[in-house]
Amino acid sequence: MNAFAQTGGELRRAVEEARAEWSRGASVVVAAVLLVALVPFLSLPGVRLDSLADTVYLAVAATGLGLTVGAAGLPSLGAGAFMAVGAFTSSLLVARSGWPLEPAVLAGAAAALVAGLISGGVVRLRRAFVAVGTWLLAWLVWLFLLAFPSVSGGSQGLILPPKTLLGLDATPTVHFEVALALLALTALAIAAVRRGAPGLELSALRQSPRLATSLGVRLARRRLGAFAASAFVAGLAGALSVQLAAVADPAAYDPFLSFKLLVAVLLGGAAATLGPAAGVAALGLIGLVSDPLARVLQLPLERFDTAVAATLLVFVLALGGGGIVPWLEPYLARLRRQPGTRLGPHYAFDREAAAGPVLKAVELRKSFGGVVALDGVSFELARGEIVALVGPNGSGKTTALRLISGAEPPDAGRVLFEGRELTAEPTPERVRLGVARTLQATAYFPELTALESVLVGRSVRRRFGGAVRTALQTPNARGEAVESEAKAREALAFVGLADLVHVGTPQLTTSQRRLVALASALASEPDLLLVDELAAGAGSDELERLAEVVTRIRERGIAVLLVEHNLRLVRRAADRVLVLAAGRAVAEGSVAEVADSEVVRQAYLGTQRL
Amino acid sequence: MAAPSEEDAQEFLLMTIALQVFVSGLAAGGVYGLFAAGHTLIYRLTGMVNFAFGDLVGLGVFATLLVLSGTAPVTQSGAHEPRFMGALVVGLVFCVSAGILTYVGLVQPYLARGSTIGWVAGTAAVAFAIRAAIGAAFQRSSYVFPDPLPFHRVGNSGFIRIAGAQVQARAFFVIGLALALALGSAWLLEKSRFGQALRAVADDAEGARVVGVPVDLLIAIAFGLVGALAMIAAIAAAPGEAVNASTGTLLGLKGLVAALAVRFGPPLLAFGAGLLLGVVESAIANVHLGSWQLGPSYREVLPLAFVLLLIAAWPSRAALEEQE
Repeated sequence: MNAFAQTGGELRRAVEEARAEWSRGASVVVAAVLLVALVPFLSLPGVRLDSLADTVYLAVAATGLGLTVGAAGLPSLGAGAFMAVGAFTSSLLVARSGWPLEPAVLAGAAAALVAGLISGGVVRLRRAFVAVGTWLLAWLVWLFLLAFPSVSGGSQGLILPPKTLLGLDATPTVHFEVALALLALTALAIAAVRRGAPGLELSALRQSPRLATSLGVRLARRRLGAFAASAFVAGLAGALSVQLAAVADPAAYDPFLSFKLLVAVLLGGAAATLGPAAGVAALGLIGLVSDPLARVLQLPLERFDTAVAATLLVFVLALGGGGIVPWLEPYLARLRRQPGTRLGPHYAFDREAAAGPVLKAVELRKSFGGVVALDGVSFELARGEIVALVGPNGSGKTTALRLISGAEPPDAGRVLFEGRELTAEPTPERVRLGVARTLQATAYFPELTALESVLVGRSVRRRFGGAVRTALQTPNARGEAVESEAKAREALAFVGLADLVHVGTPQLTTSQRRLVALASALASEPDLLLVDELAAGAGSDELERLAEVVTRIRERGIAVLLVEHNLRLVRRAADRVLVLAAGRAVAEGSVAEVADSEVVRQAYLGTQRL
Repeated sequence: MAAPSEEDAQEFLLMTIALQVFVSGLAAGGVYGLFAAGHTLIYRLTGMVNFAFGDLVGLGVFATLLVLSGTAPVTQSGAHEPRFMGALVVGLVFCVSAGILTYVGLVQPYLARGSTIGWVAGTAAVAFAIRAAIGAAFQRSSYVFPDPLPFHRVGNSGFIRIAGAQVQARAFFVIGLALALALGSAWLLEKSRFGQALRAVADDAEGARVVGVPVDLLIAIAFGLVGALAMIAAIAAAPGEAVNASTGTLLGLKGLVAALAVRFGPPLLAFGAGLLLGVVESAIANVHLGSWQLGPSYREVLPLAFVLLLIAAWPSRAALEEQE
């Protein structure tokens, strides 16, 4: 009873929220979907329902691909391969093992998901190699179908017996309604994911993988999630559309199918959730014109379609690659409500203060080729202490920072954080444990606002920010989204950028970007902050402000390790200075002590005084 | 004289098959090798992979066929040499200029912008458009390429017997030609000014640009030339088997497989990988160990699956996304 009451309350809240965010655009979309759902019952002249249903299934697959190509920015040339896996798995189960349709379709989608997970190793690669890997996959599946007629039914294909779908005879009308419902559900889920934490992380990874991973975003996991989800959706669409066709014909799964899906995504616009579906619709409409033309010219139809799709793509690319939907965006924007500012409750985050040093670096060694960058350096940081690593170029400062952040493994030595061995942990895990890092000021996310950039840093603290929870918009996920935004705003306010939350990062000054980077790192609520060359190229006013922010970070009880060339900032902010020269620690002490040291002056060749 | 024992006969048969497999594999591999070397050279120059490579070569091959005999089916022989040379030149012009146009129009602008999706989609579009155009002009499922060299007069109508094995005489010509092309272009890459400039671009394109090397022009020319080299080898091998619109595409794919197997290593290494791929394919199709045989169905699928697994599970450092 209690659970019922709770669920009821949640539902009421969700309805209220939906009502609060409802806009004219949403009404238009719902009305359009309902209108399209009526098409089979209108007996329109010249409309072939089976080919229409097939087009909607293709739109489902394309919408799924939008997650990989648009949100994750991965150029996949293999989406059709997953449709083929779904289609032939379900066909074999139906035709050879006599399975009913529904479990066979689900098994097909599951097989596509498995294929996506297996080939998903390519998502760790640079985009060029993602394209290569998916291209190979598309050919592999097609050549397999051609080479093994025992699986694919050869040139005849697999003939599928008529079945029922959801208790109804699987007529084109039923398929059309199922396809439309699937399209709506897929689009809703993907829109939620893209607007939520997973979408933000994918977007950050697309814009700057280095910066995103330094903030703790797990590249392989996030991208694999998107890739496998696209594969699952494609498999589902493939499994259903093949039942509609009533024959599984290998010739339909030529790598051109993958290319056609990519064309649809780019034609409609990868940046918008509904772009790929619009692209499929556009391709279908163009087919209405080009098919009669091909007949007049006496050209083989499928060859002509290929040429048309390829030409269209070249045009879309030449026009900047945005696609139809983003091009319509300014017109659609009028239907949309401006996003209101939602401010959640303030969450305090207190951590149990542990005794002992926050960071202990023990005898760190690293060499690159024959060059020794770090030759046995040890040091400690206490809670709330600012330590500056200084030294001439090539003395090993940045290497030390990279070993502590996990960007590189040490050749020897250990990194202990709050007594825990970190040496084998990858960067995102270290961020999760409380070791945050900023990169040099040149790194930023060009397509995100200040607030979104900081939210990327906040993502490691999210527990309910996974793709499934976000797609389902569970109460926890929604609550946490509000909390994250509050935290991110607080971090921006802390560095003095409260007025600039919705400003795009490219519009910020270099000095503001440095502060955004600090806020992003702070949003992960670290115990140790590693700061790389914060003041490089900063003017003197800016320096004062940076020094002030760094000092206030210490007051929060966070230990700060500064790698810094700018000795003015070091003098203003650092409690303690560690001087490196040629990979060794040559002096350590307060700023004043170190400044007087003869060794240090020699290390700097006597050219600079602290 | 005692009759050879059954065991001896079987061993002899095995040797014969091995030799046949090896020679025909090398001939196919020589062509793959030139495609692989082309892929790896382009990758090293630009960091991109030309998905249209095979189809651009296919365009040249079918342009040659069009000039030689139109779109009608032809017999094995009957091409006169002067006409053949003319047709070959026309094919080469098509292949090279289409390659250069692809680079200038659909690759360079996107490389300059850092848009991977741009050149990926652009070269894939060229690939499918060319395949469609060839398929529209040559609508039969396969064509026989006319043979300018009278190999059918060598030995037993084109086959010669070595140690009991029947080997196509053409195979030796193809192997020799592919080797000569590979070694010759490697030598040019090493010694000529053009080659040195290309190597400078591969090492550091920005640096080369700064010191006045016409980087884009060089890459455009290289784009055309790798197509020409692969096309000559493909035409030399073409009369041995039936060709269709997908022939070029598949050759490009296999070249890519070989180049990936050596992780876009030096061009000559990629050529070697191509040779090996040819032999492996031939062995998968023909060799049986005892009663166990993979058979022709696995010929194309297995190497492709292997390389896909290789890049997905054990990528080179250069292929991995930049991470902190």
